[in-house]
Amino acid sequence: MVHSLRPIGAVAFGTLAAFPLAAQRNVPATYAITNARLVPVSAPVIERGTIVVRNGLIVALGVNQAVPADARVIDGAGLSVYPGFIDAHGTLGIPSPPAGGGGAAAARPSAPNSSYPVGLQPEMRVLDQLRADESGFASAHAAGITTALTAQGAGVFRGQSAVISLGGEEVSAMVVKAPIAQHVGFSIGGGGGARSGYPGSLMGVFAALRQELLDAQSYRAEQAAYNSSNARGMRRPDRDPSLDALQPVLERQIPIVFFANSQREIERALDLAQEFNLRAMIAGGSEAWRVAARLKRENVPVLLSVNFPRRTTAPAAEADPDPIRVLRERVEAPKGPSLLAQAGVRFAFQSGASSALGEFLPNVRRAVDNGLSPDVALRALTLGSAEILGVADRLGSLEEGKIANLTITRGDVFSREARVTQVFVDGRAFTIPDSPAPAAAAGGARGAAPPPSARTATGTWTVNVEIDGTTHAVTLALRQDGDKLTGTMQGAMGSGEIQNGSIGTDGEFRFTATITIRDGTEEGIFVGLLDNNALRGGVSIVGHALGRFSGTRPDANAPTATPRRPSTR
Amino acid sequence: MTKSARLLAVLALIASSAAGQGNRVSPILIRNATVLTVTRGTLTGTDLLLQNGRIAAIGTGLVAPNGATIIDATGRYVMPGIIDPHSHLMVDAINEGSLSVTSMVRIADVLNPTSVGIHRALAGGVTTINILHGSANTIGGQNATVKLKDGRSASEMLFPGAMPGIKFALGENVTRKNSNTVIVQGQPQAPRRYPTSRMGQAEVLRDAFVRARDYRADWDDFRARTARGQRGLVAPRRDLELEPLVEVLDGKRLVHAHSYRADEMLMLLDLADEFGFKVKTLQHGLEGYKIAPEIAKHGAGLSTFADSWSYKIEAYDAIPYNVAILMRHGVVATINSDSDERIRRLNIDAAKMMRYGGLTEEEALRTITYNGALQLGVQDRVGSIEVGKDADLAIWSGHPFSVYSRVDATLIDGEVFFDRSREAAEQAELARERAVLEKAEPNMVPGGPGRAGRAPPTPTGENN
Repeated sequence: MVHSLRPIGAVAFGTLAAFPLAAQRNVPATYAITNARLVPVSAPVIERGTIVVRNGLIVALGVNQAVPADARVIDGAGLSVYPGFIDAHGTLGIPSPPAGGGGAAAARPSAPNSSYPVGLQPEMRVLDQLRADESGFASAHAAGITTALTAQGAGVFRGQSAVISLGGEEVSAMVVKAPIAQHVGFSIGGGGGARSGYPGSLMGVFAALRQELLDAQSYRAEQAAYNSSNARGMRRPDRDPSLDALQPVLERQIPIVFFANSQREIERALDLAQEFNLRAMIAGGSEAWRVAARLKRENVPVLLSVNFPRRTTAPAAEADPDPIRVLRERVEAPKGPSLLAQAGVRFAFQSGASSALGEFLPNVRRAVDNGLSPDVALRALTLGSAEILGVADRLGSLEEGKIANLTITRGDVFSREARVTQVFVDGRAFTIPDSPAPAAAAGGARGAAPPPSARTATGTWTVNVEIDGTTHAVTLALRQDGDKLTGTMQGAMGSGEIQNGSIGTDGEFRFTATITIRDGTEEGIFVGLLDNNALRGGVSIVGHALGRFSGTRPDANAPTATPRRPSTR
Repeated sequence: MTKSARLLAVLALIASSAAGQGNRVSPILIRNATVLTVTRGTLTGTDLLLQNGRIAAIGTGLVAPNGATIIDATGRYVMPGIIDPHSHLMVDAINEGSLSVTSMVRIADVLNPTSVGIHRALAGGVTTINILHGSANTIGGQNATVKLKDGRSASEMLFPGAMPGIKFALGENVTRKNSNTVIVQGQPQAPRRYPTSRMGQAEVLRDAFVRARDYRADWDDFRARTARGQRGLVAPRRDLELEPLVEVLDGKRLVHAHSYRADEMLMLLDLADEFGFKVKTLQHGLEGYKIAPEIAKHGAGLSTFADSWSYKIEAYDAIPYNVAILMRHGVVATINSDSDERIRRLNIDAAKMMRYGGLTEEEALRTITYNGALQLGVQDRVGSIEVGKDADLAIWSGHPFSVYSRVDATLIDGEVFFDRSREAAEQAELARERAVLEKAEPNMVPGGPGRAGRAPPTPTGENN
């Protein structure tokens, strides 16, 4: 892939390459965007004004704002300038592990000084995993995203997140604030695959979370007793970085973000937060609207994914129809933001997955089409998001002194024709190239979801499961969000949602499903490998011999329709 | 108006009023039913008044209070809601099999109140289930006793006041005689988990309870010192693995032990005697009949299948007379489903107990009602039809032991949670909703012609 995106400033600084000190500071140029429609969010819209950016900050904006002599002038006629959009939860800035390189291990350096296993290490800092890679932010910039909350995407205790600017040649220059929060996921397997060991189930995840939080409480008591005056004669308590890292969570100094989508996942998260009196946030939240009253009552904000579920592939000819619950979820999800707003729940938008950045703004527009007011939608992209993440003092609105992260569009951002032309990140300008396929860049075409790629498990699979010599035909409808695998299994062994699904970057996946076999209801643990449009693996069921399964995604290569022609209507 | 049409209208009224008023339930008067009380015999031509979630009165010619809904049950049978002492319904996880002792995990953490199986169980007259951890390891997780209040949240479904419990497991499932670890190409195979024999299972249990005793002693010591006014003490670390086992030692948590063979059951009962706790139920216990006096002496109950055997080596010696023999020796015995499918027809499994071993009708009914309540420690609330007990009832079209009978309505705490007369209308409504949903944009194949579900592709490419 060719990135035609590069910072305009790079030309100016090219001549300074011989002066490392100056290059390190990387002082951006001064810009004035004139005659533009300015949308400060914190104040009324200025229909025709000028905004001046200097030294990485917004220094002035107004109707009759003078243009400084040293400024590069951008004619903003026909352009709208917004505070840079914030992706309120994701993994931007964390490099993907090399394919087939034992994904989880590469992405998760171990912390040998902790007594807790990989997956339960709250002391992990996303700062230690960030890489400066501006070209990697091209698709985020094209979606108008200048700022992101970045958190580790796998494990149970996932560690501490950071808010970063999506630009800069060094990690140290990218970080806006850290730590922002502690992150928790209810996924087993620490990044997909067949990790064995405790916790190996959703039940174990909750027990492990509870035990570690309790340990952190008694750790605090032990340390306090030892550090008090009468420590003499007391055995020195062990130092534990994992339990140290949980202290600000227990003291409510930083929030704890639970990755939870379904109503019951969200309720479990809220119950746990209540049990330990933690400051909770929900990330994902596709069914948060079902829990809106409680979220409002307990003042829990939602980092709401706009990666709304939808059908992505044609069903296999022999597949059972989708469960009505799945059909409902796809229709209801885009209404969620509006319902949350009505209930008074605070929320910030997130893209949901780095593969879904192209659909970020089109999906925000779908939320608006489904009843969300454009003002609230804009706040959830900017100032409202910054407030929830605790960075509103420096980001989120067009105000003098705030960080010059700007998103510039041609046309109002909520109009279908809108296109992001340029973003500013810490005062440096990035021009978005005209895409050869404007529909993809601006996301104008609704329903133009990308086809399932070979690297994603999303799609409808026809699978044969052999257990105790009997073959059972089932249909797997899978959906992959990052390392999370959700969906349904239907067929000869009963039907229901799959649980605890995860998938690694190398295609190794794992999920559990409740199956009824020979009159008994048991839990099947499916572990397998995904390879293009085939999957295979083993299924273990207590009391039964190891089963095998293999399946194909028959519709992936078949044309789902005749090629789309421009409509003549 | 025919009887069934009247019942339909009445039940529809109940459902709509219940939905409209949230948790406030109007009184219900069930008229002229044949009532299988289970503990007080069979009453014909009897009325039941349900008020405030309880059975308020049983008699003839009862007067309906203001606002009461009346159900004409002429020709119908009313029995206590069925209790299934062994189920894995409505959970997102069944086993935490990674360790041999996982007493720290809780089924209550992973309930799925949206499971369609709840509706199916209600359609079989089931109102209370005991959701157990699986049998992957010697000491499994904590179970949850649940009332099947379909449509409510998980916390509203937990049976208030039910005794906490825990799953133990013995025999082949624990040693993984019939299982293998999952092998993924290129991945190291998980090591086999200790124990791999019944000897090892006894050792795991003994070791765990020794640790639990020590842990209890640490806390007792801390509490005693604190009570004596000693200052500056740091409390012992709370251990979620050992806390439930201390509760078992203190008689505050019931043990439900998956077991098949007589020898392993005797081992567990001896070990429980050694540590001074009681095993509340032996689950499955297919060879229980061989040691019925020993089980009775310990005071354990037993919960089993009616006629299911030989599906693995340790199930070869099962006989359908198991329940009858145990009951004749004074053991509290029950029939369970262990299955999301069989849970819908526990009435027939109970009826088989009259055929095999000659239980009386009331004894056979007890195996799916009152005895289950005893095994879960909720006998004061459910399991029989008595004034003051929870109004958990199943109304049948005929005698529940007839294969021709069906459940007309299932009530929990005086509320209707299943109403067969509304099924057809609800199915039609779901079909209508599905038709609308399938035409919605997010359910269409992207970029394709307007289609969803399994309609074949059309070559015309007509858009919507």
